[in-house]
Amino acid sequence: MMSFRKRTVQKPIRGTRTSPHTAQVITSSGNPSLDEILGGGLPIGSICLIEEDRFMTHAKVLAKYFLAEGVESNQEIFLGSLDDLPAEVLRRLPKPLTDEEVEQDLRQDQQANKQPADKNGLRIAFRYNDLPLVNSEQTTAKIGHHFNLMEHMDSLMLYFTKITVWDDSHKELEPKEDDPSYKVSDVVVHNDDLISSSKSLDSEPLPPPVDGIADVLPPAPAAVQVPAEADSDITAVNNNNNNNNNNVAMNSSTAYNTISSTTITPTSTTATTTATTTSPEAQPPSVESQFFYNPRYGRLLNKLKQLLQDEGCVSGMSGQKNLYRICLTSLGSPLWYDDNFASDLLKFLTVLRACVRNCTSVCFITMPMHLIAKYDTSLVPKIRQLVDYAIELESFAGSDRETHPAFKEYSGLLHLHKMTALNTLAVHMPETTDLAFKLRRKKFVIEKMHLPPDLQEISEKTAAGDILGTPNCSSGVSINSNISMDF
Amino acid sequence: MAASVLLACGLNEQKLPGFVHISEESNVDGSFLISCILGQRLRISNAGTLLICLQHHYQHYFNAGMRLGYNSNIFLGKTLNVIDVLSDMAQQGLDCKWLRSSDELTLTEQLIEDIRTQLANNYANRTSYTILIDNLSILFNLGASKLHVQQFCQSLAALAKEHENLTVITKLSNSDIHQLTDDNVAKLGNVRIQVLRLKSGVFREVDGKLLIERVLDEGSYACEQSRKEVLYKVNDRNVKIFNPGEIGVKV
Repeated sequence: MMSFRKRTVQKPIRGTRTSPHTAQVITSSGNPSLDEILGGGLPIGSICLIEEDRFMTHAKVLAKYFLAEGVESNQEIFLGSLDDLPAEVLRRLPKPLTDEEVEQDLRQDQQANKQPADKNGLRIAFRYNDLPLVNSEQTTAKIGHHFNLMEHMDSLMLYFTKITVWDDSHKELEPKEDDPSYKVSDVVVHNDDLISSSKSLDSEPLPPPVDGIADVLPPAPAAVQVPAEADSDITAVNNNNNNNNNNVAMNSSTAYNTISSTTITPTSTTATTTATTTSPEAQPPSVESQFFYNPRYGRLLNKLKQLLQDEGCVSGMSGQKNLYRICLTSLGSPLWYDDNFASDLLKFLTVLRACVRNCTSVCFITMPMHLIAKYDTSLVPKIRQLVDYAIELESFAGSDRETHPAFKEYSGLLHLHKMTALNTLAVHMPETTDLAFKLRRKKFVIEKMHLPPDLQEISEKTAAGDILGTPNCSSGVSINSNISMDF
Repeated sequence: MAASVLLACGLNEQKLPGFVHISEESNVDGSFLISCILGQRLRISNAGTLLICLQHHYQHYFNAGMRLGYNSNIFLGKTLNVIDVLSDMAQQGLDCKWLRSSDELTLTEQLIEDIRTQLANNYANRTSYTILIDNLSILFNLGASKLHVQQFCQSLAALAKEHENLTVITKLSNSDIHQLTDDNVAKLGNVRIQVLRLKSGVFREVDGKLLIERVLDEGSYACEQSRKEVLYKVNDRNVKIFNPGEIGVKV
């Protein structure tokens, strides 16, 4: 008997790499500066929570980056939202930049940084001439792509991506869509909408489909002019349907695996259980209505489970794997409210976490935490406990800081509330936790927070008072607090 | 790797106290303690361990253990048994036994039944047995009431009293929110470890504070208690412990 054993090297999943910090498989969040803060990207099986700012502008930009990265890396996408129209979100994904454009962008940035100093050759002090220019923007990550927020992604790119959307609309109840094999056609329906919408906006004919793929592609729709108020109409219809659908029980159409034992057996290196597949007829009745008071959570979970039970997603299965990007925007918004909102949301996040950890997927959630805090203050830390990364975006829009000289460069502050050590002992911590973000014309940038040098011109007392009143620049605690140091 | 933190907590001995409770403040990660204790128990020959995974999958504990220098898969099914609630939920979805109250059993009752079954199968063959529960706050999230969790912990404490050399170690996150339950559960045992964040802010060299409270002698009129406070830093492959004052800000 030969002792030789063929070494089977597992192919890496598209758009992922192993982190040098934690030796975990990570994927890009779509935004290079956010990746840098997270230690290269999001670990597979993790949930990243973005706590929305009051106007929900910036969190949505990050969600678009996350989705656009999935489209560009040819990964599978799930987009769920009650507040936004998924088709509209997908239509407005940012356009990916080519390598040349990225280099050109970098050069332009460098030149822009040099210009003020070179104009008159003056610096604050001559000795600083020998020092390199301070670039507070984090360096770019090695995975992921760059995107241009000014332009929208070509709708043809979405054709070749498996996208599943959920908005709890009436479409979901149609018999065709109840079929689990409907995933691709699901995309097609929305792409039809996308194309018609983009046509009406751009008035440009779509390029002909690539040969050989024409059979797969659906027939291009006839030129449809979508009226400008169509979106608002759809939103109204959706909202009505959302309310009406509350009492409609959805069939769980996935094939169930009944697990004979809950105890992990030592026969495999990974946590496996002996599973016996039962026929769909023998599957137990759905109990979602018993577990969640609000049936929307059950419907969303069922939709997700259909997706995540795919062979290419479940960890431990052989064969080429693909990464699933799950994006849930404005989860826990007032549209989700009911009498048992808090308990349902916590249950949902607990089960979602279990599902995401068990397969090759990453989840990106945006939540209006300022509204949730008003609903129940204790809910905020409970939610943060159920996610792996909790990042708050505190926008200056509408506040006094918008015009404050100390913050004139930035659009808001970024607070890192939680970073979990997932599948490892210690978590990667960024160089500093004093971070700020700015929404430029073309990109969303997260930088180290620093105060401008000309702040001295302002009356020292008022400026100092204002700045010290802010929670930042002092590692999470205001300087004028009376708490003594712990060490 | 983890000897110093176990020494500081008094959990480095072969015979552990009957009931140990770990309280974790909000926004603090005390998972390293479970990994450290698990490693220590697995290294003792013929000492059985039952890990109840509510916070993370078993795979997380395996990977964290590898970082600390032990391979838990070697012990799996021998001295280590696992009840992976999270994996069951992922594989079976909403029909999972943990999510539906079948046979009139609540989640906590179901869990204690499974623990008893595991104990009946494995306790007799082992010199000592440790039940690690990570963590109780997930039970709240899954719909268990304060009363259910309290009853569950009391059942566990009763098990520890019934069986010699049986240790129950529980962990509760967001202890500042579930303060009542946290205090009540802590009173069931003699050792309480509180994982606290630094009140003065974030510091690169220190992650947080461990407050170890131990009841030495519970007399009829007075209770002798010891309190110890140490600072900790979780590194990539070890956990370092500092005494307050040992670390300073270097300018």
